[in-house]
Amino acid sequence: QVISTKSSGSSIIVSPRQRGNPILTNLRSVWEFSDIPADYGLGLTTCALFLSLKYHRLHPEYIYNRVKQLAGKYNLRVLLVMVDIGNHEETLKELSKTSMVNNVTVILCWSAAEAARYLELYKSYEHANASAIRGTESKGYAEKLVDFVTVPRSINKTDAVSLVSAFGSVRAAINARPEEVAVIGGWGEKKVRRWCSVVDEPFRARK
Amino acid sequence: MSSGDQAPVKLSLPLKYQQELFQELRLPGDDGNELVVIARGLGLLRLVTNLLHSYDAAGGTLILVVGADERENGWIGESLAEHAAISMSVKARGLNVVNTDVMSVGTREKMYAQGGIFSITSRILVVDILTSLIDPETITGIVLLHADKVVATSLEAFILRIYRQKNKKGFLKAFSDNPEPFTTGFSPLSTMMRNMFLRRVSIWPRFQVSVAQSLEGKKKAEVIELEVPMSDSMRDIQNAIMECVEVSIGELKKANIGLEMEDWNVDSALHKQFDMVVRRQLDPLWHRVSWKTKSIVNDLGVLRGMLHTLLTYDAVAFNRHLDTILAAHSPPPGSTRQNQSPWLFLDAAHVIFDTAKRRVYSGKATGNGADDIESLRPVLEEQPKWAVLAEVLEEIDRDLYFNPVVRDDSNGTILIMCTDTAQCRQLREYLQNMHVRMETKPGDEEEEEAEEDPEASAAFMMRRHLRNYLTWKKEFAKISAALFAENQSALNGASTTRASNSQSYHGKAPANKRRRVRGGGNTGSRPTRAANGSILAGEDKPLEVATLISEIQPTELESAQKEEVVTDPLDDMEDFYQLYDTEDLVVIHAYDGDMDEHVLEEVKPRYIIMYEPDTSFVRRVEVYRSSHNDRNVRVYFLFYGGSVEEQRYLSSVRREKDAFSRLIKEKSSMSVTLTLDAHGIEDPQEAFLRTINTRIAGGGRLAATAQPPRVVVDVREFRSSLPSLLHGRSMVIVPCMLTVGDYVLSPNICIERKSIKDLISSFKDGRLYNQAETMLQHYKSSMLLIEFDQNKSFTLEPFADLSGSYSSVSATNPSSDLQSKLVLLTLAFPKLRIIWSSSPYQTAEIFESLKAQEPEPDPIQAVRIGLEGGQKAEDQAFNREPQDMLRVVPGVTGKNIKSLVVEMGSLKEVANASVEELEPSVGKEAGRHIHRFFNKSVLE
Repeated sequence: QVISTKSSGSSIIVSPRQRGNPILTNLRSVWEFSDIPADYGLGLTTCALFLSLKYHRLHPEYIYNRVKQLAGKYNLRVLLVMVDIGNHEETLKELSKTSMVNNVTVILCWSAAEAARYLELYKSYEHANASAIRGTESKGYAEKLVDFVTVPRSINKTDAVSLVSAFGSVRAAINARPEEVAVIGGWGEKKVRRWCSVVDEPFRARK
Repeated sequence: MSSGDQAPVKLSLPLKYQQELFQELRLPGDDGNELVVIARGLGLLRLVTNLLHSYDAAGGTLILVVGADERENGWIGESLAEHAAISMSVKARGLNVVNTDVMSVGTREKMYAQGGIFSITSRILVVDILTSLIDPETITGIVLLHADKVVATSLEAFILRIYRQKNKKGFLKAFSDNPEPFTTGFSPLSTMMRNMFLRRVSIWPRFQVSVAQSLEGKKKAEVIELEVPMSDSMRDIQNAIMECVEVSIGELKKANIGLEMEDWNVDSALHKQFDMVVRRQLDPLWHRVSWKTKSIVNDLGVLRGMLHTLLTYDAVAFNRHLDTILAAHSPPPGSTRQNQSPWLFLDAAHVIFDTAKRRVYSGKATGNGADDIESLRPVLEEQPKWAVLAEVLEEIDRDLYFNPVVRDDSNGTILIMCTDTAQCRQLREYLQNMHVRMETKPGDEEEEEAEEDPEASAAFMMRRHLRNYLTWKKEFAKISAALFAENQSALNGASTTRASNSQSYHGKAPANKRRRVRGGGNTGSRPTRAANGSILAGEDKPLEVATLISEIQPTELESAQKEEVVTDPLDDMEDFYQLYDTEDLVVIHAYDGDMDEHVLEEVKPRYIIMYEPDTSFVRRVEVYRSSHNDRNVRVYFLFYGGSVEEQRYLSSVRREKDAFSRLIKEKSSMSVTLTLDAHGIEDPQEAFLRTINTRIAGGGRLAATAQPPRVVVDVREFRSSLPSLLHGRSMVIVPCMLTVGDYVLSPNICIERKSIKDLISSFKDGRLYNQAETMLQHYKSSMLLIEFDQNKSFTLEPFADLSGSYSSVSATNPSSDLQSKLVLLTLAFPKLRIIWSSSPYQTAEIFESLKAQEPEPDPIQAVRIGLEGGQKAEDQAFNREPQDMLRVVPGVTGKNIKSLVVEMGSLKEVANASVEELEPSVGKEAGRHIHRFFNKSVLE
């Protein structure tokens, strides 16, 4: 028993309290029962508590006791909240306050399947680095180019391709005069004005 | 111009209904608060400027114009100056425009103190009022334009609330010439009026009695309607597009079961903005719909654009436009059928591309073998309206010749109105070239005909277009190959089957290997289908193109004609500058909203040709005609019969009429009881409770917390509705330029607000990661607020079931959904708290509870946080869009973007900088990346 809690193998550790929770039938990665203070052990420093709002409404003190039992054992303590009632506003407001006071991170889910997916994600990203959300994904030049040109509103993919192909390079497209851009098919006045002003707009609004 | 009876102010409102309306607005009774809804084209701006002038001339006032856009500012400014000159009012100061942050706080304060008429951007005005740069009590009145845009959570409503709280005497006059928004929802008019604290509404449709009398007197304009039939191929294309629309809508319905979609049908697709309608219906669930649904909605937009360009572009330009669309929508090779636009698989799509091509040139197949030369011949179909236009001009000529000029005030000018400048350019070119004849080449019957035929023809122009098109096309093939080569090389490595696929994508496969498509070989080149069944850009065989090019080589006579300069030669303008005689000009203009009135007044045309239908312009002509006794106008009204254009015109007329009828109905049954104070003066009970701090035992000591709760808000956040709602909950809003976070609730609590849309985009470009990092550096409790929209469904769950997605749950696959990114974020920042809010209203409540028992934030401290040594808060006023673009550029990271933005002025400068210039701010490696991105030539 003790050994299994220590190891952070490839399986999600589930507290026996969770027996019968529909999440378990939705979990497709490996999981095992073990006696841990949290509901789900998702790695050495990560754990999750599960809370259904329906239950919370009946036993509002339950979750506070559970959080207390964690006693600062984990670095990231996820409170996985299942929104299964209609008028959730009041409860969620209270939980927001709780999360600040008790250092838990609230994640909302709306179905058992989604909850299970969150657990799987936490487990599988245990050692992943954050490059996917740092905007450093590698992309092809064409995609980057389209992304770049389509930032201003109302300019779409077709416009991006026609613009750059008309001028040869992004730099030339940026230096183009409004009259030259307006000749391209699909580039109406609004787009032309938008494009020409955005490339010339100073980054900083100076005083 | 006649003048009103209000001496000494001279007005320019010649028509009876205009004067009536003006009198009503100037009425001293009922505190001068009123909402005016007027039909488009009846001269709203003219009314507003006259009204403003009457105040301006009186002097000693502070009047704010809210909601005016740039052009309206220009118009109001000009005509105020004009009025002031005409009526020689000494006190008039004209219009002051405050629309950027550029003007310093000090100058603004001074200006406001001087009084006068100010047009202020809402975002700046709200900050200025909150920081009491403008004292609301000193405002004489507010004139609100585009009143239809005022919803409960809008900035304008926020401004009016603050204004009404502090100032009960000042007037508010709201104007709108867009009745449709007033009729959607439950008792919309009274809701709207409650938002503006107004009690009186005045409605002026075209069918109002005095309007009708003023416009339908004996001086009616002469109108000749000309229904132009579309050519067969145009009709084919239009039908094919409609079929594509139908199928796309069908796909949407299939993919989103359980949505209300009864009215998604082709009939509504003829409606002006059906893609917007669909978009609006899906909007509540936009973050949940599948990628495919999004792309289909996008397709609908493209298809609608096509319907429009079919009617406006000439055949060559339309075909070229289609080529671009096709290239942009071509899937990367190797992708499966699932993730492509469904309409590209249809036969109808094939019809579109094929017919469009055949309007330009066609080939005659002489055999089936690859050795046979399929010769291409230019077809160059002309737009049917062109010929009609030429006829009309000729008729006018004859008319002028046989009926010598009737003495009146209008010029002999012919005014041609069309939708956009591209259209203007096309018509101008056509009119310039329609009588250019081509030299007859022996054996070329068609041109011989043209020689004998005195009719106008666009052959010369079209041939030139075709030449340009062919050269363009050659380059474009190279470009799209170059652009997508990267993808291909990546994929080629992965699998050989894909490699063969991508080769055919290049279009280099020999002609005889190309799949024969239905309908036999009547064309030399056509869109073919890729292995996976989608349409592929057809590549002409070089030999064919060569013959085609030689066919349309400029003949001697043609080349004698000066090549038209496409851009206006402004550089040597002075050499060409010359005043034309206004008697016999043809002026081509694009519809431009209220500005058309100016055009009419200045050009004083005797003949107007409306190349495309436009409701409000018809009214403007009516107003113009009725305003001038001595000017005769004849209007020719051109439209394509049975086209989208016609439908659109009719439905816009109908919708406006319906909207007005409903407005009048609601007005008659409306009971508005309003108190002027918004949510009133602060609830005394609340104020009392605040003074007793329950944390102090027994509440015995009255603590010094008598001040209302305070929130520091980043000025950029005023685009959202949250500050307004926080203010509504009796919190004091302190607008500041924050470097870290969006809202500071207490010295410890800092919040970054993200709507779902922002959340997705800021995950994508890594902005959120950096924001979380800096927030956690400076604040003990840093929070990410995920705010759903009021009307959007409060869930992140996609419609698609989660069953198939297990494969994406692996660390190697940076899967794209929101959930996995949230997981990564919380793993990276275990201390970051996440707050979920179902609406801005809810957020305001959450803020209140988070703030309870916390000390109030210090604005000065909040501004200082995150600034590096020497930086000033004023330097942090960034323009968001150019920076967002910069962030996409490879080599630019969350870290070096700051120095880049400080060193370089604008995107243009970055693009033109050399590696050496970039080096000091971003380093060598990144500099090279940036330089390569901008300078890489897609032509290679």
